[in-house]
Amino acid sequence: MTADLAPARRIIRRGRLLTLLGLVGEVGIFVRALMFTPVEATQGLAQKIFYLHVPAAWSALFLGFGLVGVSSALYLWLEDPRLDRFAASSAEVGVAFSCVMLTTGPIWARPIWGTWWSWDMRLSMTLLLFLLFLGYLSLRSALDDRSERGRYSAVIGVMALVLVPFIHLTVYLFRTLHPQPIVLKPSAPSLPPEMLITLLSGIAVAGVLYLGFVTMRYGIALAREVTEDARHE
Amino acid sequence: MADGTRAALAIAAKDLRLEWRSRSALLSAVVFAALVLVVFNFARDPTAVSTIDLAPSILWVTFGFAAIVALNRAFTVERQHGALAGLLLAPVPRGSIFVGKYLANLVFVGTVELVTLPLFVLFFNIDLTGSLPGLLLIMLLASVGFVAVGTVFSAMAVRTRFAELMLPVLLLPFMVPPLMAAAQATARLLSGRPLSELAGWLRLLSLYDIAFVTLSILIFPAVVDE
Amino acid sequence: MNELPDNGNYMVAGYVVASIIYLVYTVSLFIRAGKAERGER
Repeated sequence: MTADLAPARRIIRRGRLLTLLGLVGEVGIFVRALMFTPVEATQGLAQKIFYLHVPAAWSALFLGFGLVGVSSALYLWLEDPRLDRFAASSAEVGVAFSCVMLTTGPIWARPIWGTWWSWDMRLSMTLLLFLLFLGYLSLRSALDDRSERGRYSAVIGVMALVLVPFIHLTVYLFRTLHPQPIVLKPSAPSLPPEMLITLLSGIAVAGVLYLGFVTMRYGIALAREVTEDARHE
Repeated sequence: MADGTRAALAIAAKDLRLEWRSRSALLSAVVFAALVLVVFNFARDPTAVSTIDLAPSILWVTFGFAAIVALNRAFTVERQHGALAGLLLAPVPRGSIFVGKYLANLVFVGTVELVTLPLFVLFFNIDLTGSLPGLLLIMLLASVGFVAVGTVFSAMAVRTRFAELMLPVLLLPFMVPPLMAAAQATARLLSGRPLSELAGWLRLLSLYDIAFVTLSILIFPAVVDE
Repeated sequence: MNELPDNGNYMVAGYVVASIIYLVYTVSLFIRAGKAERGER
């Protein structure tokens, strides 16, 4: 039986378009951040990493991780394979954005805080979530049966979602009971409008890029499944 | 006694009887824990940080690793003899299978912890006067939580190619809140701080237990059902 | 008058690293997409 790859091809095509759109948008963000946004008064040029770091973090955690959790829960309830395919795609894309987040973070921190890393709440949480992502993906790669893989990944996804508030609480308790020297947090509560616009555009573009990536990845997963099924008939 | 509870206790009893008959797993887990304590002692610089500061962290890291070693064997027996399929065919509610396995694991892990504790006191010269009940409470609260999650994960890990590696990779992030809370509470307990300073950590442990034991019971059927 | 700290190198490093990661991932997706569309594994 020949595989009908047309639906998958359509999805991949859409994904390619969105990805290219996202990348062009990123170039726009680079230009705007580097040339048309004022330099921050106390931190200097390094602060501009902020416009890449925060959008990547947002895509990795809220979109990537959050959607893995939600589609895992829905998959356990509805057992629709599309949900499992989406969860797997979102997890991989989340890892990509997490890499950007976890590299730009320390590169920004070093000149500002004087240290590459600190066990600050946000950093600790994001690192742990990144490792959870990787565990999720390695579990998937260790299971060949599609039903098992879907169910087990979904279990991890749901449990990870419940874990997040506890990690939050743990690090918060740790911080409040351990008085630390005041660390200047390089996130300005009140950003001047030009900076705010750059930040918000950055987040929007990261969202488009996420969509493009996830669509392509989903299409690839669908195509592979269809091919595999055809081979088994 | 309800059928479900009876089934759970029967499953737990069967598992524990099997463990007790050979005792090799229990012995290995205890030896492992003792070795971890010894290695920690050799691995640190005694002039850099005082023992009493490090001791609670060392204790809980040891308990954490020992629990993983213990949990790794939880479903291997079933897998080796295909016994899980038989168990699932029997008219036993899925929830009871989980509770039975969970109780057996809890007793196993608890035993390893109780045997390791005197070694810890000995190696690190800990003064337990007045702290023992509190420490036992912390041990109970922490273990109840991560053993539940570990039971679900070991049922999944056992079906993968690298089960012994997969379990820690999946479980360790989930052990961060209970291990951290337990270490912090233990540190305060052993330095004679008032109970009020432990309250926050104990509350965190209890909340974690409620959330994850409930979630584990609810989610376990997804692991064993086709 | 405040002098800005001289950390432009870090800024460049950050932007370069981010670009590389995004580009590498994009290329990986495009390659895999091509293979998947052709029915290869």
